[in-house]
Order: sequence, then structure tokens, then C-alpha cells
Amino acid sequence: MTKLVGSFLVLLGAIFLFSAGLGMLRMPDAFTRIQAGTKASTLGNMLVLIGVAFYHPDWCLKLLIVIYFVLLTNPISSHALGRAAHAIRIPMARATETDALRDARETDRSAS
Amino acid sequence: MTNLPISNIVLATGFILVLIGLWGILTHRNILRIIIGFSLIDTGIHIVIVSIGYVTNGTASIIDRALSPSEAPSRSVDPIPSALVVTAIVIGLAVTAVMLAYAIRLYESKKTLSIDAFTESKW
Amino acid sequence: MRRAFNTLVVALFALLFATIAVTYTEQQTLPQLAASYVKLVPQELGAPNVITGILLTYRGFDTLGEVAVLFMVAAGVGLVLGDSTRRRDAVPAKSEAIVPSTELVRNGAAILFPLISIFAAYIIMNGHLSAGGGFQGGAIIASGVMLLLVANPEYLVDHDFLGVTESLAGVLYVLAGIAGLIFAGGFLDSRMLPLGQFGAFFSAGAIPIISVLLGVKVGCELGVIIDRFRG
Repeated sequence: MTKLVGSFLVLLGAIFLFSAGLGMLRMPDAFTRIQAGTKASTLGNMLVLIGVAFYHPDWCLKLLIVIYFVLLTNPISSHALGRAAHAIRIPMARATETDALRDARETDRSAS
Repeated sequence: MTNLPISNIVLATGFILVLIGLWGILTHRNILRIIIGFSLIDTGIHIVIVSIGYVTNGTASIIDRALSPSEAPSRSVDPIPSALVVTAIVIGLAVTAVMLAYAIRLYESKKTLSIDAFTESKW
Repeated sequence: MRRAFNTLVVALFALLFATIAVTYTEQQTLPQLAASYVKLVPQELGAPNVITGILLTYRGFDTLGEVAVLFMVAAGVGLVLGDSTRRRDAVPAKSEAIVPSTELVRNGAAILFPLISIFAAYIIMNGHLSAGGGFQGGAIIASGVMLLLVANPEYLVDHDFLGVTESLAGVLYVLAGIAGLIFAGGFLDSRMLPLGQFGAFFSAGAIPIISVLLGVKVGCELGVIIDRFRG
């Protein structure tokens, strides 16, 4: 029974990872691609590890530590990538309406 | 659980990666995508080399609680391909670094990343 | 035209690979050389990890060649990217574009960098007991250096210190090999130090020392290569 639940979770994680790859191909510009790649792949990663925890219950603590590290590093790296992409002024998709970072920088510059 | 032909499956996966990388090198015009294709070929070949060393129902060739020294020659997988791949991975990183350095210099000289702009070596 | 040629080449390669993949039969027993390695490494070298024993003693000369290849690659990248006149011209034009890193990345790096260093040290020192070794630990050190570069854009990597450290590690590695020639069986033989108890931390002759030297060398080299890309 637990193996069935574990297999289902691993399959779900694989579906999320596949959708991350698909999103990276189909999204219009760099910023949306970074978002698709990070969020979906982090969740897929965590689901696969939780599914493995159902298969080997005595690995639970080690797998939790690995999940903690994945949660710690993936968002930080995508944040740094997004900031770098904004700093070198990569063109945004045409459907973009607001650019909060640019507005915040301009108000800072005009206020100082 | 029937005995899956693990070696053949992993071998096929490695070869598929090599084919994807090869197609990427031949098709794309952007230098960075060609470099990614080279990296894919690298990874595919590593997987192929490791899969050749697999012995049926074998385990990793590290002597610990799971594998005692007396039963090691009969139950462990081939350690030589793994040893070769360990160094090959680091060399792959170094070769990718050299290719990227050349890509940076090429971009600075012509201000474009398309490989069609560099026709000096063509006949 | 080009597309047809591409598909033809890929199809031919696919045919060749499919032939190999389908007609390959798994090995049932180890080949003779591998079986003798698996038997000899715990016996003669006292190292539980067979692969590290092979890499550092039985095939130690290949490892020396690879150390030389890495050194050549670092020199090559330094030659292509490290032009000092280029750096002097480029810096004033881009000085206003050095974006400082955000608080999130700085705090994350402050948490992660000690963990990465401890993990790299653990993998290097554990090379002879479980999976690990010099090359893998060196790559992890380089990723730690890259994290520092991302979190702190004004961090200036000291190229002189890294260059001296890397060369010193390489020279000590060759000296360890010559010491193996004098005190033990041959060049890069690790039996010059006592074998110790099987599975203990200080065991397997000179393999931990060689692992540390390799890890330091590879880490410094990859760190210098990564830093060259910043200019």
C-alpha cells in the first residue's frame, strides 16, 4: 500500500518536472521562463523525494535534509538570475504591463 | 519482479542523449546552443560508458556493510568504467569552459552570436 | 538542403546506436582484470572504495596526466580571457553597471557557503571509505567560490594566492609519487605509509593525503577558471 502511494507521488513529481521543461520551451521571454523552470522543477523535485521516502522509511531524515537544501538553493539562484537579467535590460514580453523593479528604482533615484 | 534489462535501457538512454546533442550541434546557429549540444553529447557518452560496466544483480564496488570482501568479486559491478568516467566528468567541465571562453571572444569581435557571421575559414 | 543532410546524419547515427543497444547482452561475471582489482584493493591497499584505489594507485599515472590536462585548460582560459589591457579599458565604461547583490542572495550565501565548504572537505577526506575523492571535492569547492562571486560582486579573487596554491599542490603530488618510488613499490604507490585498520579514518596508506592534494588543486583551478569569466 505504501509502495503504491510512493509510486504515485514519484509519477506526479515526474509530471511536474516534465511541465517545467515544457514551460521553459514555450514561454515568451526570459523572465517567465525562469519562473516556470524554478517553481515547477522545485516542486517536482520535492514530490519525487517524498515518494522515495515512502519506499524507504528509514531514509526519512536524510531525504528531509535534502528537501531542505533544495528549497534553500533553488529560489535564491533563480532570484539572482532574474535580477541579472533585469540589470542587463533583457526585453520583456509584449504582454507585460508593469515593471515594479524599474518603477521602484526610479522613485529611489528621484527621491535621493 | 522480472529481471529488467537494465544495461540495455541505460545504454539506450545514453545514446538518445548523444543523438539529441548531435542534432542540436547540426541544426542551431547560435553559438551557445551549439555548446550546450556538445555538453549533452558529453553526458550521453558518460552514461554509455558507465552502463557497459553493469553486472547482472550487482552492486556498487564499495566494501561496506552491504558487500563483504569475500563476496565482492562475484557481486560487484565493474569498477574500471566508473573510474574512467569520474575523471571524464571534470574534463568535460574544463572543455566546456574553453569553448565558452572562445564564444565570448568571438562575440566581442563581431557583436553577434550567430555562427553564420564567421565565414573566414570557409572555402 | 541543410535540413535533409542533418536528418540523414542523425538517422545514420541512430541506426548504428540502435544496433549496438539492441544486441548488447549484460555481463554475468566480472572480467578478469576487474575481478583482480576488486580482490586486490581491500587486500593490498586497505581501502574500502575500490574506485579510489584504482584511480590513485593502480592507474595513478592516468590521474597525473589528467592533472596536467586541467592545468593546461586553466592556462588556456587565462590566455584567451585574461588580457589585462582589455580589463583596464572595459572597467571605466561599465563601472556604473555593477549591480550590488540583494539581501536575499547575500544571506543565502552566508548560510550556504560554510555548509558547502564542510561538505567539500567531507567528500575529499572520505574518498577512500565511501564514494568521493579528490576530483569531486574540488568541483564542490569551485561551486562554493562561484557562490561567493555571485553574492558579492566586488569580491576580488586573489589570483596570485590561488596560482601559488595550485602549483604547490601539483608539485607535492609529483613529490608524493617520487616518494612512492623510493619507499614503496613504484611511482605513485600509496603503500609508503602504514595501511592501518581497514575502514578507519586514517588508513589506506597515502591515499587520503593524495586525495587532499588533488582536491585542493582541482578546486583552485576551477575557481580561477570561473573567475576569469567575470572580466
